[in-house]
Amino acid sequence: MLDRRIIDGNKFNQKLADEMAEAGYDRIRACIQCGTCTATCPAGRRTAYRTRQLIRKALLGLREEVLSDPTLWLCTTCGTCQERCPRKIEITDAITFLRNLAVEAGYMRPEHRGVSHKFIKTGHAVPIDDEKWSKLRESLGLPPLPPTVHCYPKALREVQKLLKKTGFDKLVEYKGDD
Amino acid sequence: MTQIPETPPSKPRKPRIGVFVCECGRNIAGVVNCQALAERASKLDGVVCTMVNKFTCADPGQEEIKAAIEEHKLDRVVVAACTPRMHEPTFRRTTQDGGLNQFFFEMANIRDQGSWCHSSDPEGCQERAADQIAAAVAKAHHLAPLEVLKVGVTPKALVIGGGVSGIHAALDIADAGFKVYLVERSPTVGGIMALLDKTFPTLDCSICILGPKMAEVSRHPNIELITYAEVTKVEGFVGNFTVQVTERPRFVDLDKCNSCGECTKVCPVVVPNNFDANLGWRPAIWIPYPQAVPSSYLIDIDHCLGLKSNSSTSCLMCDEACKEAGADAIIPDDEEKIHNIEVGAIVVATGYEPYDPTPITEYGYSVYPNVITAMELERLINAAGPTEGKVIRPSDMQKPHHIAFIQCVGSRDERTHIWCSGFCCMYTIKNALLLREKYPEAEITIYYMDIRTTFKDYEEFYRRARQAGIRFQQGRPAEISEDPTTKNLIVHAEDISTGRPTRREFDLVVLSTAAVPSKGTQALARVLNVPVGPSGFFMEAHPKLKPVDAATEGVFFCGSAQGPKDIPASVAQGSAASSRALRIITQNEWEIEPIVAEVNPDLCRNTIVKCGICVKRCAYGAITADPGKAAFVTPAKCHGCGTCVAECPANAITQHHFTDDQIMGQIVALLEDNPEDKILGMLCNWCSYAGADLAGISRYDYPTNVRGVRMMCSGRYSEQFVLEAFRRGAGMVLMSGCRLTETGSDCHYISGNVWAEKRFNRIAARLKKMGIDERRFRLEWVSAAEGDKWAHVITEMTAHLKEIGRDAIIAENERVRPELEKRLERLLNPPKPKPKAKT
Repeated sequence: MLDRRIIDGNKFNQKLADEMAEAGYDRIRACIQCGTCTATCPAGRRTAYRTRQLIRKALLGLREEVLSDPTLWLCTTCGTCQERCPRKIEITDAITFLRNLAVEAGYMRPEHRGVSHKFIKTGHAVPIDDEKWSKLRESLGLPPLPPTVHCYPKALREVQKLLKKTGFDKLVEYKGDD
Repeated sequence: MTQIPETPPSKPRKPRIGVFVCECGRNIAGVVNCQALAERASKLDGVVCTMVNKFTCADPGQEEIKAAIEEHKLDRVVVAACTPRMHEPTFRRTTQDGGLNQFFFEMANIRDQGSWCHSSDPEGCQERAADQIAAAVAKAHHLAPLEVLKVGVTPKALVIGGGVSGIHAALDIADAGFKVYLVERSPTVGGIMALLDKTFPTLDCSICILGPKMAEVSRHPNIELITYAEVTKVEGFVGNFTVQVTERPRFVDLDKCNSCGECTKVCPVVVPNNFDANLGWRPAIWIPYPQAVPSSYLIDIDHCLGLKSNSSTSCLMCDEACKEAGADAIIPDDEEKIHNIEVGAIVVATGYEPYDPTPITEYGYSVYPNVITAMELERLINAAGPTEGKVIRPSDMQKPHHIAFIQCVGSRDERTHIWCSGFCCMYTIKNALLLREKYPEAEITIYYMDIRTTFKDYEEFYRRARQAGIRFQQGRPAEISEDPTTKNLIVHAEDISTGRPTRREFDLVVLSTAAVPSKGTQALARVLNVPVGPSGFFMEAHPKLKPVDAATEGVFFCGSAQGPKDIPASVAQGSAASSRALRIITQNEWEIEPIVAEVNPDLCRNTIVKCGICVKRCAYGAITADPGKAAFVTPAKCHGCGTCVAECPANAITQHHFTDDQIMGQIVALLEDNPEDKILGMLCNWCSYAGADLAGISRYDYPTNVRGVRMMCSGRYSEQFVLEAFRRGAGMVLMSGCRLTETGSDCHYISGNVWAEKRFNRIAARLKKMGIDERRFRLEWVSAAEGDKWAHVITEMTAHLKEIGRDAIIAENERVRPELEKRLERLLNPPKPKPKAKT
């Protein structure tokens, strides 16, 4: 899709780059926009995810544009770009950092929110306590439930306590059992 | 030979010191208040005149100094400005022109080790500058007049490396009428340029323009060419170097061989030809290429079957053929030759070599046959190369139709080499144009990050390539994969302009690889005692004003030995280095600094007991100590490191211009106020002081609480300097010198830092026993190229200083003071040894 808007240079600011530098990704400022990251990205070859452009926008300080970009979530964190970057920029880690900022700013994908809610509820992002899994386990001579929070409700309560304490529930807008 | 006065005339009257503070435009005045510095200096003992100059080094500034000398009857001059490594010679001359002995001058470095590295803390910088001026004034009190030493000069030069740069350096010196030894490691001169096909941006044939120069080298009556040889030892100093050159055996008589080539026809050996980037073959008896100079064959003894003494076979077919052809040039028992030569100046022109990109695995070089390097393409496209100028795919010897060039392979890449090699953009454009001419139907794509076409006519050349239909795609390829059946290559790269990933199939990919220092650069740097920079290329004395000088006087660099350069720049530097060398070898005598050591025979222990420690410490054999007699330093042999001075147990040796009194005076002045907040740094002139200067030049900002004392070598750092600093309450003491690692020493004086380290360990053990926090006394090797390291060390030490805390330091100093004083007393007034037998 063509974006016909002019980027207003007066709105460029260093803040996002500063934040990233402070978080330990200071090498990002040395980026020479060579495109190795985009070209090397297995996700980018199949999707609209363009690593270099995201980094570029972050450097320009187009904060909202970066954090609201749904392609930010298409990185598989394989780390190939990081390995091949001629400036040794911690690209994958920086993308993860941008995702954290995006969530803080409220740009969470509904799917991710769903998974998070499930995690708070069950202690598993992907619960494996339904009949399908327990039957499979039993057929293999295993106990129906794995030795995780599925077996130990007390441990689950501890996990939930931790998530509450760290504010994770608020972050993912968990409002209790629905 | 020496003009050092026996004893400097005593100065009964108080010195009259003038202090001149330079603003250096805004360079200094932008951070510190020069007027305030001058006012503070005016209150120092002995200072009778102070002045602020806009630029002290400029003519008006120098005139002001001269006028002040006369008006205020000054007998000492102190200039607070840049580094003495820059302008000390200038101001010494001014002092001399003003009617004073030039050694009545001292400099305070308030720019390179002041305003340039402390811009974030102007107040701290002001304090440091004031202290450094006070130290210079303190040293000025103890200055003595000296006369420069004059040494004879050998009117010959050595040029190491016979590439295009070394050839020009040698020819220029030889044309000026002076003898030149040209030493080349490979069997022929010509270097990399002789292997290239055409040159940019004119497209003239490389060997056609270089060949006549190579021939001139072999013909020139003033040039003695030693090929297949390496410099293995260098001793001496400016004007008087003794060099050992080791020549490998060629097994062919250079004079008798008429290069008929009959020998190669019978040689049964076939090995890859490294002069053809290993793409072609050659026998064991060979010549690199037809235009080789000297025009003589040689035997590659590692691959020859018949000359090896331990070989069961005895081939010698070449010998027979040679005899038959009437030359009889084969020498089966040829041996390594050692040449010992004397020269007055040395030009280093050892060049670069192309990087082997195998470690960059994503490009598949050495795995995929059709990924080749630019050097390999040069040999393929060259009519004298292995394919007689036909560019073919190595996998099937077929003509390529889709050709890609990839730029910056191993360059501008922090995983390999950070630098831009400078000429790859241009040679790639050149090769693309040549291919376009050869194969008009072929599609050519150049993948690049930036195209760099600085210098005359280069941009025009680039335009020509665009016009000719070469596709330029911005975007650094991320990887190359291979189609296993066709052996075609798929290049993945983002097209920056459209912002989309692209993939494209090629049948030949050419990698423009980085230019890296020649093998053996490190070893030669050791032999010559000159530094290499972080890139591994030789480091010049000053990046702007001494681009071809080494830090060691009498040694010069030219061409790619100092950093990648194209042909015109290499030629220009060859001529530049030759003119710098001629400046020395055309003189009958050369002045060297009289900063040599001198023994006071009345104090020398050797007259009473057998001592001779100084003799063992001297790396130059400059000291003799005959039994029963005082040790004696031969001034012309002394290089002025001062190691013997620091090691003498009787305090009997003095180093002129770096006397104990002068240095102690500096230490006392530097630690006058709030000593516990300060780091007293001792810096050697050649590495650490230069490194600290570089930190300033590079604008690395670091804490202002360091106070520097410059000495020539870390070997000079006496124990009493350290103890006096702590007695005066110093927070920390740093000994810093040239790098000493497991692989060897970078010391400018061969082994000064070795003795410095031993001394450091002794002093550190003593201080630890006394109860001084170990972090407060530190030894660090900082090379002239490590400005960042210097800034890092000071930053770290300052952090430790804060960690330990001011009060703890004061308490610690109070506690150890009696012991420090006891030890100092013993060091300053060592007991006289008792004679073994009464005389």
